[in-house]
Formats: sequence, structure tokens, C-alpha cells
Amino acid sequence: MTYRPGRDGIFKTMKKIYIFLRSMTFGLILLGLTAAVSVLGSIIPQNQSAMTYVRGYPSLYPWIFRLQLDHVFTSWYFILLIILLCINLTLCSIIRFHRIRQEDILKRAAGAEASVKLSHEGITRVRAELERMHMHKNVQDGRIIYHKNLPGRYGTFITHLGILFTVIFFALGMVIPKILDESCYPNEAVTLEDGTRIEVKDFHITDEEGKLDYRSVINVILPSGKETGDRELAVNHPVKAGSYKIYQQTYGTVGQISVRDAKGHEDVFYIESQDFLSADGKTGILIDNLYPGLKETENGTELITSTMGRYEDPVYIFMVMENGSTESMLAFPGDTLDVGGYTYTFLDPVEYPGLRIKYSPAWVSWALLAAVLMLTFGLAVTFLFVPAVVTVTDQGYRVMTPKAEGLILRLRSAAADNGNTEVDENA
Amino acid sequence: MLDILFFAGSGLYFAGMLVQFFAQVWKKKVLSKYAWYIFIAGYAAHTAYILARGIQAGRVPMANQFEFAVMFAWGIACILLFLHYRLKLEWITTIAMIMTWAVYLYAALLPREIHELMPALRSVWFVSHIGSAAFAYAAFMLAGASGIRYILLYKKNPKDPKLPEIDYFIYRLIAIGLLLLTVTIVIGAIWAEEAWSSFWTWDPKEVWALITWILYAIYLHLRLGRKKTGVTMAWYAVLSVPVVLFTFIGVNTIMPGLHSYGQ
Repeated sequence: MTYRPGRDGIFKTMKKIYIFLRSMTFGLILLGLTAAVSVLGSIIPQNQSAMTYVRGYPSLYPWIFRLQLDHVFTSWYFILLIILLCINLTLCSIIRFHRIRQEDILKRAAGAEASVKLSHEGITRVRAELERMHMHKNVQDGRIIYHKNLPGRYGTFITHLGILFTVIFFALGMVIPKILDESCYPNEAVTLEDGTRIEVKDFHITDEEGKLDYRSVINVILPSGKETGDRELAVNHPVKAGSYKIYQQTYGTVGQISVRDAKGHEDVFYIESQDFLSADGKTGILIDNLYPGLKETENGTELITSTMGRYEDPVYIFMVMENGSTESMLAFPGDTLDVGGYTYTFLDPVEYPGLRIKYSPAWVSWALLAAVLMLTFGLAVTFLFVPAVVTVTDQGYRVMTPKAEGLILRLRSAAADNGNTEVDENA
Repeated sequence: MLDILFFAGSGLYFAGMLVQFFAQVWKKKVLSKYAWYIFIAGYAAHTAYILARGIQAGRVPMANQFEFAVMFAWGIACILLFLHYRLKLEWITTIAMIMTWAVYLYAALLPREIHELMPALRSVWFVSHIGSAAFAYAAFMLAGASGIRYILLYKKNPKDPKLPEIDYFIYRLIAIGLLLLTVTIVIGAIWAEEAWSSFWTWDPKEVWALITWILYAIYLHLRLGRKKTGVTMAWYAVLSVPVVLFTFIGVNTIMPGLHSYGQ
């Protein structure tokens, strides 16, 4: 084999980079940076309009835009941190798995000498303590090997793999789903791009007991013609239909008006601000707005403009346009008005739901769920099933699993009761 | 009646803490015993208050900042009881009593009216999400308390035989706290998907829960991977407590977000 200094130098550098990428130091640096960047993302409001930052941070906003602090969690450096963390976790998981698989701790324990030397009585006490802990016992070559929770060795591996999958499927879960927010008046429907139709049959903001709640009754008709039937939709209770999930997101209040012509034909319309109700485009009524009520103040009667909560005493503000003149008016539900040969009757406003429609293949959610459960399970195994292996010889004992600190303390305490110990701190 | 139970709990915790303090100053074991009994009485009143409030509200009382603080203090007291009776740990008693009372005192400063549970909180995940958070924070607080105890003992005598045990329990409390915080985050994510359509929304509360999680994950890597123990790690546990408190109090107070109904 010929010596090629240039190439060997590159290999050495690459090996160094590889070792650094898989190292815990690198992992900890990445975690620290992720936390630091997250702090910034929590302090500075995210994904607001540019004007919000210009007004809120007059001297800092150029830096906010330059450093992408207005959308930290989708900035290039945050994404880079997460990609590097994934690389670190992958390499770390592979190494961890090989190390655990190759390590035959029981075999090592069978050949181990005591590191804590004890008298016969001390050994008896230690053994009694180990028996009390319900540890499994093997006798081999004159040594007694106590062990417990050996599968717990896989705990950190499962945890790291769980974090890796969580990050990957979380990222997919942010990219794949398509979200659409739609308002829909009762007895009307929303039709989606693929032909899926969502009909809102009913909506109310109190439950059967009169408690505040937001509930819609919807029917979803999929492009295949399959229907869900009338299903109740409420906060925390989305409705699933095909790859869609429909959420009760917000609600609003809309006015209603009944219009009757001279022949007695009557239609009911939902009315919104700037709606112009007219047969000829000239004569009719122009809706200004619907308000929750009126209140008496020092300056006289004023409109309640806050739209939080229910419209207890609704007021319609509108303009009558007739014969080239306009007149501002107000009306309460039940009031009737004749304009241009039509009779307009203002009705009680109705509440309507704001729906969130999410399209996402089910596997994304299931994969993410499996990943977070894996992470939690890994942590539970790591911390609740700490592997413990102890070799007891006629000289004393040796704890083969340094992470079993509780066991080390217990055995030290049991041995110390004898008052005759010689503790090797390197045990 | 509710207020009587609440203030009885507060008064008894305070009295227990005071007696325990003098027991430590005068080194009287009998006084320490009395302090413990007074603390138990405070815990009984505290538990009775939670039960009575729950019955009156018709739900588990964890729906706002006050109720969470009461549950948080109860979590600290529960873990202290476990450490005292099951593991016979006494070195943590004084500082844990102070922490229980301090969190309870914070609760006393908040409005105590009972409100109907808002629709967003009516979920099967409500109790497990908030309950696990209360116990996770409690474990982190007690880890911090143990850290203070470690530092004080270390300053007196760096070779004190109790130090390895305290160091070990700081690690265990953080490990259990991290596990519970993970459960909190996971359940919260599942709940968020049901309520808001997304598992994660980068809401300030979520971000700070993640920051807390990372902080303690780093601790565990240093402790288990780098074998770092001793006074540095005790300081780490102590200095992490403000982050936990910020996640609990600070975020709800100064950072509006999707979790603001917890105020």
C-alpha cells in the first residue's frame, strides 16, 4: 500500500468531523442552541405583519428581519439546527445499539473480581440486601451474579430513536397537512377543491344544560358520494371524514332579513356589512352593520361595538336608498320596512360556526404518535428499569452497572452496617 | 367553608415550616417531629380543600393559575410524603416544607373564584395533561431544593457522607420530572391536535415547556453520559428552578398565547 499524505490527511479530517458529529458534546451544543433560539422565538411575537415589528421594535426591526426573528421556528438556522440534531441522533443511536448488542454484561460479570472487599458477615448482608431487591441469581465459577432489569439497557437507545422519529414526523406533520378555515352559515355548505361538501345543519353556543359550548351539526359528503350522516362537531371533538378532519374553530353572528314582494313571495337572506338588497340596483337597503345592542351613556345612547359573547339586544344599522336619496336608520328584530315595493322584515341574528378543515393522510399522525410514545416508553425504561448487575465473590462484591447508583448506595449502606468495609470508589 | 380549609392549609404549612426551622436551629429532634405532624395536618387540610373545591366546581380543580398552583403545591407535598415515608429521607424536609408553603402562598395571592370549565378545557386529556405537569414541576422544585441542601452541606463539609445520596436524589427527581414533563408534552400534543388541529403550535407555553425539557435533558446527559456529579450539578438543579417557575408563572403572566385561559 502506498502512502498518500494528502489523502490520509483528508481521511483524518473527515474522521474527526464524523467523530464530532456523533459526539455527545455536539448533541449538547445543538440542544443548548435550540433552547436559546427558542427563547428568542418566545420573546418576539412570531409570524406577525411587517408593520407590527416596525411599530413594536422601532430600533430593532431591521435586525429582526435580517436574522429572521419574526419566524424563528421556520428560519434557515433553526431548520439547520434540527437537521444537525437528527444527524447526531442517528449516528448516536447506531453506535449505542451496536455497543449494547455487543456487550455481554453477564459474561463480564462472570469473570469479574470484587472491587469492594468485605468480611464474611458483610457479604451475607449484601447478599441479603440483593435478595430483598428480588434480583435474579446465577451461580458461575464460584461467583454469584445478581441481575435485574437487563432490557433496561435499551432504554436510552429507544429514547434517542424516539426523539429522532418525533423530530422527523413532526416536520412532516408541519409540511404535509393542508389547512383551510371556512365560515359557514346554518343550512349552507362549503365545497372543497376535490368536491368534498360540508353541510352545516345547525349551530348553537350552549349545550343541553345551558352551559357555554360551541356545537355544530354537520354532514360531510365525500367525492365518492359517501356521507358521514349528521354528526355533532364540538371543541375537542373534531369530525373525521376520509382524509379530512373538521374542527369547531370559531363562531360568528350574522343578521337575517326576510324580503317579501307585492305578490307575497318571501325569501330569507343572511346579511353582512355592505350587502345591498335591491331589485333594480338603485332602490333598496344598504346594510351597514349588526351590533350587539345599545347602551345609555352620559352623551346619550351609544351602540355596543364589542362583539364578544352573544348579541343580547341586536341592532341593525342600515341606509335606505330611494329616489336618489339616502337615509341612515336602525332597526331591531321584528321591525318591518317598505322600500321600493318590497317589505323587509329584520329577523333575529343567528350564530354560525367557523370551521377548520384539515387534510392530512392518517399515517402522518399515527407515525408521530408512535414516535412520541416510543420516546416516552424509552424514558420510562431508562429511568424506571435501570439495569443492575452485581457479582458477589467470597472476597466481596462488584457492581457491574455504574448507572445503577441507587443500588450502589443501598449496597454501600448494607455493607457499612457491618462496620467492616473497604470501599473501592472506582467500583 | 372552602376558604377556611384553604387558609387552614396555609397556616398549618407555615406553622410546620416555622417549627421545623427552630428544630434545625436548636437541633431538637422532638420539635422536628412536631413540625412534621403539623405539616401532615396542613397536607390534610390542603387535600380536603382540593376535594371540596372539586365537588363544588363539579370538576377536577386544575383549570386556572390558582387551581394549578394549589395542585403544584400539593404535588410537592405528595412527593415529600413519599420521600419521607417510603425512602426515609429527612434531609429534604425543611427545604421542601418551605417550597410547599411558598407555592401555596403564591396561590393565596391569586383570585379564588370558581368558574365554569371553558369548552376548550373540557377534554379527556385535561386531568392527565395538567396533573402530570403539576407533578413534573413539583419534582423539579424538589430537585432544586435538594440542590440547595447539597450546596449548604458541601460548604460545611465537602466530605459529608450524605452528599452522594443527595446528589443521587437530585438526579432521580430530575429523571422522574423529565419523564412526567415528557408525558405532559405528549398528552398536550395529542390534545392540541384534537382542539386546534395541530400537534404543536409554537405557543409560548409550549416553547417554554420545550426549553425546560431541553434544560433537564442536558442535565441528564451531563450526569449519565459525562458522569458529572457534585456541587456543579447541584447548582445546575438550583439554577434551573427559575426556568420552571417562568414556564409556570412567567409565561402565563407576560406572554399571551393559546394557553392564556390558564391565567
